[in-house]
Amino acid sequence: MKRRTLLKAGVQAALAGIVFPGAAIAGYPTKAFLAKETPEALREVLGSADIGESDKIEIEAPHIASDANMVPVRVRSGFANTESISLVVAGNESPFTAHFRLYESQNFVSTRIRMADTSELLVVVKADGVLYANQRPIRVGRNSCRA
Amino acid sequence: MSNTIQIRAHEIDGQVTVKSVINHPMETGNRKVKKTGKKVPPHYIREVIVSRNRRIVMEAFWGKSISRNPYLALEIPGRKGDLITISWLDNRGNSDSASAKVR
Repeated sequence: MKRRTLLKAGVQAALAGIVFPGAAIAGYPTKAFLAKETPEALREVLGSADIGESDKIEIEAPHIASDANMVPVRVRSGFANTESISLVVAGNESPFTAHFRLYESQNFVSTRIRMADTSELLVVVKADGVLYANQRPIRVGRNSCRA
Repeated sequence: MSNTIQIRAHEIDGQVTVKSVINHPMETGNRKVKKTGKKVPPHYIREVIVSRNRRIVMEAFWGKSISRNPYLALEIPGRKGDLITISWLDNRGNSDSASAKVR
């Protein structure tokens, strides 16, 4: 009975109080996901849009995506203390795609994203409080989505 | 909601590779039903939390441009037998959580 009510209380409460005690869950960056421009989105999440390019961020993604709705992306950051990895697709209606906060010594993330059109995939990495970025152009075919 | 998450985790030299797939429609709100011409309302995962032995190792915030049935992979330090838990929360307040042992 008690278990039931706990489940119903939703993942937020469950996560904060029971599953992961002591860890603070920071808010969802709604404004960044609504932003129509890349710099605006980056400022919302990372506090700055003024980011230097770096070759230390490895992006593995297809040059030409066969399915624009499922573009596999693998990111490996060459920085020792990587704190977060963000993915931005400039050509999408809402460019900000994903933000990953990393808490252990980890430097890798992989997922699948949607691309509305041929555009750059921008990856922003925060390491030791400093922002670095790298980008890769990805071409998509005709049957693309509107994301 | 249950069994929406599949997790595989294996360890090599102290490095745990976690791979997971979540079954979720990830509707952007822009897709239309052909017959009626009506838009399908947005329904997508906003937050994913990955933990190892009940300590958070990753928080992911997602928008609508993550593919349907999202795939997520990460690499963390760890050992065989560690408990990996993945939880998600979507924009309608639905959620699910699943665990797997590192092999």
